[in-house]
Amino acid sequence: MPGAPVEALQGVPLFAELDRHEVEQIARLFKERRFNQGETVIREGSGGAAFFLIDSGRAKVTLGGKELARLEEGDYFGEIALIDGGPRSATIIAESDLVCFGLTYWDFGPLVQDNGLIAWKLLQSMARELRTAQQSLVFMAAPSTGPAEGAQS
Amino acid sequence: MTNQETSSELFFEPPGPGTWTLDPVHFPRPVTRYWTETHPAAFLRGTQNMASYYGMLIDGLGTAYVNGFAYNSMRHLDEEQVPLRFGRAAEVFQNKLWREQLREWDEVRKPASIAAHRDLQAVDPDALSDEDLVAYLRRCRDHHSAMITQHMSFTGAATLPVGDFLAHVGDWTGLAPAELLGLTRGSAPVSAGASAQLERLIAAIGQDPSALALLESNDDPGGVLASLRSLPGDAGSAVSDYLDLVGFRPLDGFDISEPSALELPDSLLRSIRVTVSGRDLAGSDVNDLISGVRAKVPPEHRDQFDELLAEVRLTYRLRDERGVYSDIWASGLMRRAVLAAGRRAVAAGRIEDAGQLIDAGLEEMCSLVSGTAGPTARELADRSQYRATHSAKDAPALLGDPPSPPPDPSKLPPAAARLMRAMGISLGAIFGSSEVEHEEHLLRGLAASRGVYEGPARRVAGPAEFDRIVQGDVLVTESTTEAFNILLPLLGAIVTDNGGLLSHSAIVAREYGIPGVVGTRDATELIADGTRVRVDGDVGEVTVLV
Amino acid sequence: MNDAVVLAEASDTGLFGSKAVGLGDAIRKGIPVPPGVALSAAVVEGAAAGDEDVIRNVTALVAPLQTPLAVRSSAVDEDGADASFAGQHLTLLNVTSAAEVIPALAEVWWSANSDSAITYRQRVGLFTRPLVGVVVQTLLDPDSAGVMFTRNPVSGADERVIEASWGLGEAVVAGLVIPDHYRIDRSGEVLERKPGRKRVAIRPVPTGGTVEEKVPVELTEKLCLDDDQLEELHELALRCEQVYGPARDVEWAFAAGKLYLLQCRAVTRA
Repeated sequence: MPGAPVEALQGVPLFAELDRHEVEQIARLFKERRFNQGETVIREGSGGAAFFLIDSGRAKVTLGGKELARLEEGDYFGEIALIDGGPRSATIIAESDLVCFGLTYWDFGPLVQDNGLIAWKLLQSMARELRTAQQSLVFMAAPSTGPAEGAQS
Repeated sequence: MTNQETSSELFFEPPGPGTWTLDPVHFPRPVTRYWTETHPAAFLRGTQNMASYYGMLIDGLGTAYVNGFAYNSMRHLDEEQVPLRFGRAAEVFQNKLWREQLREWDEVRKPASIAAHRDLQAVDPDALSDEDLVAYLRRCRDHHSAMITQHMSFTGAATLPVGDFLAHVGDWTGLAPAELLGLTRGSAPVSAGASAQLERLIAAIGQDPSALALLESNDDPGGVLASLRSLPGDAGSAVSDYLDLVGFRPLDGFDISEPSALELPDSLLRSIRVTVSGRDLAGSDVNDLISGVRAKVPPEHRDQFDELLAEVRLTYRLRDERGVYSDIWASGLMRRAVLAAGRRAVAAGRIEDAGQLIDAGLEEMCSLVSGTAGPTARELADRSQYRATHSAKDAPALLGDPPSPPPDPSKLPPAAARLMRAMGISLGAIFGSSEVEHEEHLLRGLAASRGVYEGPARRVAGPAEFDRIVQGDVLVTESTTEAFNILLPLLGAIVTDNGGLLSHSAIVAREYGIPGVVGTRDATELIADGTRVRVDGDVGEVTVLV
Repeated sequence: MNDAVVLAEASDTGLFGSKAVGLGDAIRKGIPVPPGVALSAAVVEGAAAGDEDVIRNVTALVAPLQTPLAVRSSAVDEDGADASFAGQHLTLLNVTSAAEVIPALAEVWWSANSDSAITYRQRVGLFTRPLVGVVVQTLLDPDSAGVMFTRNPVSGADERVIEASWGLGEAVVAGLVIPDHYRIDRSGEVLERKPGRKRVAIRPVPTGGTVEEKVPVELTEKLCLDDDQLEELHELALRCEQVYGPARDVEWAFAAGKLYLLQCRAVTRA
């Protein structure tokens, strides 16, 4: 079967509430892509073309050189640029050899539009991120009374 | 005084008083420990010899290694020496003393050096006892050191006539040194790398069908070279002689870290193939160039033009010979000895790979052979890793005091002024020395895409540095790939070191309609980041605006 | 399968892209081209997706080709754009066996769908999904190679401009060296021969891929083409004009004494 193996998608929260048949259909759209350790997978500021799911390996997320997060098996990234057509919002670098499954824009769009459940899940995870970002802004704007985590660079 | 920190977390301190200039041309990567131990003193002696022989107003050139990178400094001459030097400079031009040096080279030094190299080469280091191997290492090192001194001692003879020619002809024609240098190339009947042995090789192989067949075969190059060597008759002995001459020379560079020709049989075999098939039309080109320039010289100076050019042609081969027959060969021999010592240390279980010994200092090498304390394999591997992962682009161009202007030529006696100017041009071209009056703010390359643009230069090596470019910048880089296409809308012009009119950079510059000058050779070395430049894509010139 | 064919049968640019069809045209007119096959965009995508039928067919089709192989992208929608996409396309050199071709196809597909490729397309006005076919050919081990424009791209003069260097032509295309520069006029007279500074050569490595090799010092400024070779290139230029028309960008190579055409495109801007 072409595409990603169904098992690769089943562990991903984004697809968790779909039935097997739906997962199979979606899996067919993906293509495997491998990155070597140290390779830059996505560069901040660049135009975005694909959405990726990590099947194995680890990656780190940075912005302006500062590390923001780490990603591993089951995590996904790259959806934001595909949704709003803007530049990549962070840089992602493979910390180990990475095996991903990717969808380009032309397959991602229809997938999300046709499947309300997936769209809802994406909205939920984006809302979570928005809250976290808002909280950091509030925190940084307040006068600091001690050593502040996440203080500006 | 300037101390500089670079982004790669190396700390650079001036190695002594004065102005120190980076030499990325001869040493683009950090050097080995052995080289830092051996080179500076030998180099200083040689340049002091040169300075006193030619009546230069310096006491030689100092070299120092900071984080493995080479820095040069002109050494101050005692005031009381100055009148002697003035007198000597006058003598130099009056009696064409470079000819004396050339004679000394041909009749004494070159044959003696070749004999000394062959003597060392005849020893099989793997067959020596540990004690004898240690003595051999020291012997090779002493020889290498003497040869480095010799190389520099004869530099004046190679560079003064050229510099003198460039200075005079530059004044008469307004042409830049970079352009005139083309006239000095190929003027020797044997160009770089060629020799009597090579001539003989070409003749012998050309007449021997079995040699020609072997040469063209697709078998393993090491095997082909060995077979060629053992052919009966003239071909075999010509190949042997040639390989003995060039085999232990590094193919490029000076340090013992550079592989020798025989270690790269593929490249060596290829270059023999091409040379034997005899494609060399460059000679006829030079004569056309020369007539072209001569026509631009005012008639009253043409006799002197011919005279100056004749001196250049006489001495030109010394440019290559003084290195090839001195320290380049000696370096190859030292490398050979070090690799044998490395094998010895591996057999004794002290290091893991013979090549690791390249990163040891001389005493460390001797210790690792005789079994007394020495660096670990890990330490040596770390040094090697350092060399492989850093380049002169990580190092600041200047350390120490800001460069002071050279003495005012109008206050010097004519011969001294003429000498200073000639040597300044030549040495400036060789070392990037700050003695060169920076009248040369002009770079030439190929006119790849029309138009003229002025703006700040941005030196960008690759995608990791793309976010440094802002709208209106002039991209200055070695060469471009499709990854650079993203930058195009931001750029006012493109300047590259490499590439031709049909390369990627040239094509995209034309497509985007921005001025482009490619193939400048040195733009990334000569144009500092942020400097304002004018790029003239109509004539292929880049001017650094001050 | 008519969407994976030998080069001599590639004639539909909508399936195979203009690079493949250009080579097909050359073969059909008797111009020497290294033997190869053309794969359509759908086949490349199928291989990247892991479709077993596609993979089986492709492997069988490339099996008879002498290894090592070069895998070059042949974009299907390039002709509509206002840019030459110079260097935008991926070429994978020295793929050592038929089995290695499949992962190479996946790499080509991803490079056409990469962030930078898509951004570049959008900038030049192409907003559709990229379609990229592939040409798989026997890889040459050239002594010298390079590019020839059948019309001067800077001055527009009616002359051939040739840039050449040692080894594979990528050294010239990617601007890794200052290549030798030659000009020949329409009658075949050589107007200029300027040696470059050819410090490196790209060569195939027996285990796969290529390596950037330092060129021995005595060859860096030695002309890599002699007059006989320039004459052959001049004749190739005439043939290309007959087959394709004026103002062509030709990639060529001399291997084992023979001249080959590797690619022939329109010069986008003179």
